[in-house]
Amino acid sequence: MKVFIDLMWYFRQEKAKYIWGIVLLMCSSFMSMVPPFIVGVIVDDIRLHTLTSGSLFKWLSILIISGFAAYGFGYGWRMLIFGSSMNLAKLLRDRLFGHFTKMTSHFYSKRRIGDLMAHSTNDIRAVQEAAGDGILMLVDSITMGAMVIVAMAAIIDWRLTIIALIPMPFMAWAISHYGNLLHKNFHDAQAAFSELNDRVQENVSGVRVIKAFGEEQAEKENFRVQSADVVAKNIKVAKVDALFDPTITFFVGLSYFLTLVFGAIFVVHDSITIGELTSFSLYLGQLVWPMLAFGILFNIVERGRASYDRIRQLLKVKPDIVDRPNALAKVPSGDIAYRIETFRYTEDTPVVLKNIAFDLKQGQTIGIVGKTGSGKSTLVKLLLREMDCQAGDILIGGTSIYDYKMSSLRQAIGYVPQDHFLFSATVAENIAFAKPDATLEEIYEAAKLANIHEDILAFKEGYDTVVGERGVTMSGGQKQRVSIARALLINPEILILDDSLSAVDARTEEAILEALKRNRQNKTTFITAHRLSAIQHADIIIVLENGEIIEHGTHAELMAEDHWYRAMFRRQQLESFVVQGGISS
Amino acid sequence: MNESYPKENLARKKVFRRLLSYTKPHKKQLAFAFLILFLATGADLLGPYIAKVFIDDYLTPRHFAWQSLTGLGIIFVLLYIGTALFHYLQIINFQTVALKIIQQLRVDVFNKVQHLGLSFFDKTPGGSLISRITNDTEAIKELFVTVLATLVQSSVMLIGIFIAMFALNVKVASFCLILLPLLFVLMYGYKKLSAVVFRTTREKLSQLNARLNESLQGMTIIQAMRQEKRLRKEFGKTNGEHNHASLKSIKLNSLLLRPAVQVLYVLGLVLVLGFFGVRSFDSVISIGVIYAFVNYLDRFFEPVNSMMQQLTHFQQATVSAERVFGLLDETEMAPTKIGNSASSIQEGKIEFKNVTFSYDGKTDVLKNISFVANPGETVALVGHTGSGKSSIINLLMRFYPIEKGDITIDGTSLKAFSDEELRKNIGLVLQDPFIFAGDVKSNIRLNNRNISDEQIVEAAKFVQADSFIEKLPKTYDEPIGERGSTFSSGQRQLLSFARTMAIDPRILVLDEATANVDTETEEAIQTALAKMREGRTTIAIAHRLSTIQDADQILVLHKGEIVERGTHQELLAFKGLYHKMYLLQQGEVAS
Repeated sequence: MKVFIDLMWYFRQEKAKYIWGIVLLMCSSFMSMVPPFIVGVIVDDIRLHTLTSGSLFKWLSILIISGFAAYGFGYGWRMLIFGSSMNLAKLLRDRLFGHFTKMTSHFYSKRRIGDLMAHSTNDIRAVQEAAGDGILMLVDSITMGAMVIVAMAAIIDWRLTIIALIPMPFMAWAISHYGNLLHKNFHDAQAAFSELNDRVQENVSGVRVIKAFGEEQAEKENFRVQSADVVAKNIKVAKVDALFDPTITFFVGLSYFLTLVFGAIFVVHDSITIGELTSFSLYLGQLVWPMLAFGILFNIVERGRASYDRIRQLLKVKPDIVDRPNALAKVPSGDIAYRIETFRYTEDTPVVLKNIAFDLKQGQTIGIVGKTGSGKSTLVKLLLREMDCQAGDILIGGTSIYDYKMSSLRQAIGYVPQDHFLFSATVAENIAFAKPDATLEEIYEAAKLANIHEDILAFKEGYDTVVGERGVTMSGGQKQRVSIARALLINPEILILDDSLSAVDARTEEAILEALKRNRQNKTTFITAHRLSAIQHADIIIVLENGEIIEHGTHAELMAEDHWYRAMFRRQQLESFVVQGGISS
Repeated sequence: MNESYPKENLARKKVFRRLLSYTKPHKKQLAFAFLILFLATGADLLGPYIAKVFIDDYLTPRHFAWQSLTGLGIIFVLLYIGTALFHYLQIINFQTVALKIIQQLRVDVFNKVQHLGLSFFDKTPGGSLISRITNDTEAIKELFVTVLATLVQSSVMLIGIFIAMFALNVKVASFCLILLPLLFVLMYGYKKLSAVVFRTTREKLSQLNARLNESLQGMTIIQAMRQEKRLRKEFGKTNGEHNHASLKSIKLNSLLLRPAVQVLYVLGLVLVLGFFGVRSFDSVISIGVIYAFVNYLDRFFEPVNSMMQQLTHFQQATVSAERVFGLLDETEMAPTKIGNSASSIQEGKIEFKNVTFSYDGKTDVLKNISFVANPGETVALVGHTGSGKSSIINLLMRFYPIEKGDITIDGTSLKAFSDEELRKNIGLVLQDPFIFAGDVKSNIRLNNRNISDEQIVEAAKFVQADSFIEKLPKTYDEPIGERGSTFSSGQRQLLSFARTMAIDPRILVLDEATANVDTETEEAIQTALAKMREGRTTIAIAHRLSTIQDADQILVLHKGEIVERGTHQELLAFKGLYHKMYLLQQGEVAS
């Protein structure tokens, strides 16, 4: 029941709704006490021939009124309690989302998106159930159970009540026990299903290999075996699941049996009437639900607690990159100086960057090259404060970037990441991502600079074309150029192109670089690249290896030395010849 | 929308009938399950009847014949034990059949997909294909396991209750029939209304999840572009809409589900009590009959509740079934053997004769391609992206049907070979070596039981993959995770080489990777490639100079045509492209 204490802040916040909800729920339970009672009265009246049309009419009228009253109460408490639990889910979802927007790459590198999604869906659902069904079952099992028992004991006979109740605790225990069993088996079945899913995924992605090696039959056989395993696991679930109803039937039947046997004895001894025996058996039917609820309650509460703990754990994580106190709200501008001694992602991981020191005058372009994993991306991400550097500093206009407010710093930077991620929205909305109120002219301008304007116009719906799964599928090169346009739209003083020209052909690359040069006077540009043609014309080129600068200079200077840069440049020239078959397209 | 509705309904009926046809192989078990269900329901419903007999024949007249009473008691208890047991068996049987049906459906659709042509895969996103095989069939599983089972069980229960009521008192029972149209109206109304409400709720939920998923993926961009606040607001809006829609569904459930059924119950009681009450004014009424009637009424509405709750799932499942059957009816099959000659590949001589090919039937990606690769020779294909290199390989692998021209192997048309003959003799090395989850061994063997462990080691040694495999903690039994991410791209390539060498093909089809790998692995790859080509007819999309240089014939492709062809020496003498490349390479070596 700990989850109810944990959620007390919410119940307090929604006090009125919960109190009214519980009151209505109790009224509705009370209304269901009426029909059995009236049945008993009428049966006795019929037996004793004391029933008059007047009294019959009276009782039936009360019955109908109680029915409609129960309807009203039932509607009321459902809206109040279930409605509130739904609002709780909404609240938690908003909180989690807000929290996610504050988390940094460090947080995301440790968690898989699938898991975060699971927290935001399954865990929230479990908490919602605890705050809705959980409350319902708690209240119902206590109040309705109590009301029925009181009705049976007070109106009819307390001895008979005790006798009839004997099987009930066993039933509640069995149901709760099955619940646990079911949970485990269900988990296994889910796991088997997700394995099956993985296999299908692999099969579809590897279709060429499978066809080339004639693996179709073997794949079919494997799938048959694995899907049979899913069936076996599900049958296990079914075997527990199928226990619920028969168990209830059995124990309730036992109660009826005890009621009839002992009730008959009481009738013979004139302690109760046959009418009372009839209402008693109806009350007994109404006791099934509170008992069941009691059994299910434990499962719901248990799951709710575990889920709520996970959500709280997640919300407890503090953002690891924050503004310094008294950070400057001014947008940084000016020369850039890198003075990094060492950088590592966490204390127990190896050093990623070492002794990175260089100066960049406002308006210059720097090219950063090196093998995969040499630290190129990390170097530019430090400027964005995606991570913070522990030993060393980066200065813009003579002031440390850590002395600016993060939002001011980022206002100065246009960033094109390696993985050209676009949102499922229109092309125009994607380009205007950083400035949603941009005019169409601004959007066109940015698109033209990024050499994607013509491509967009060629789409059927132009700038209103939706990107992503439900819309048009763009080529990698097109996506890259859209994300370049997105960064250019805010006309940033500092532009970072993190290997963002890799999927465009040589001619387009040249056109984009040319356009940048023309339109970005006095503005600084960082370019990291595998293809050296992208940085050939930069003012400064640095070559990284294992996180250290091994070469430093202009293209001409580096070509004069006989190191990595020259060898690589030659090799790439050669390769481009080979790939293109020597034909300039 | 209104116009298409009847048609859609008709299609739904067809889909449903087709789904039901899957029950045919399980006729016997189903019949058995139904039999037990009838027994269980019967036993269940006999309880109140026995109580009635007890009340009317023994309790009211105070007639206590202990022997028959004990008998009655024993029957009563036995009935409940029987009910519980039969119900358990009944549920298990229905569920087993349902699960087996779904497995069959899954296997059918998976098998179908195995034989679809690559052209189908080209235009169908992988995600939607996977979702049809797993998620859609899972939705149909719900239909069989929960929805149909509940509907069948509940209907049998309702019919049983009516039979029992008619047996007790025909007049009151026919009176109670009035409840049926009311019930039907309630169910129909709920089904209609909930279909709309639930659809919006589901849509909103999927929008909510899509938004969340996308934001998590693009968080770097959101933060770098300072859009956290806007995204929070947008998420909050979708969240609010979802909340609004869910509230509607709660409202609907509160108005039309349990509370409404409860009202019907009370009406039923009023009918029964009213009837017996009025009758009691002028005749003697059996108390036991009232007892039994009231008890039956009490049980009547639980099945109604369960049925109504399942109604909404019904539509969802039929939509899924439509999708699954759509895939099962797909006609775009992979090309396979035509005719029944038993051709076999001996020498490995490949000839392309005037091959023209188009993926979409509009633009030709290959135009009139002709060339011969003699047994043991290497043909290198060069040209930029989109020049048609990959299409040549795709056709040779018979991934797509040839419409114009022909490809022959040892003089026999490619069409005449069996799948097995082709796969056994043509080894493909893909640019992106696809690694399966499993271990090293299973990735080389690929389910081919004819390949022994020794042959696996041999193949790995042959392509120089053994040196890195031997260094793994469990060597050849080393487990490989998702897509072989623990291996470097070079290692993955070597592994895929070994996979191809394990089948020892006559013909080698190479799609060389350009990926940057470290020098040591690059050397191993080059040596392996040279050894693999030895004695095999090889068609290679070449990126490595070593491969091109050693080729017996080089084809330069441009826009689907061969624009330059010749051997190393011929092209060198031609002083064209190849000469240029050669000089460049010499320069690199010299420096």
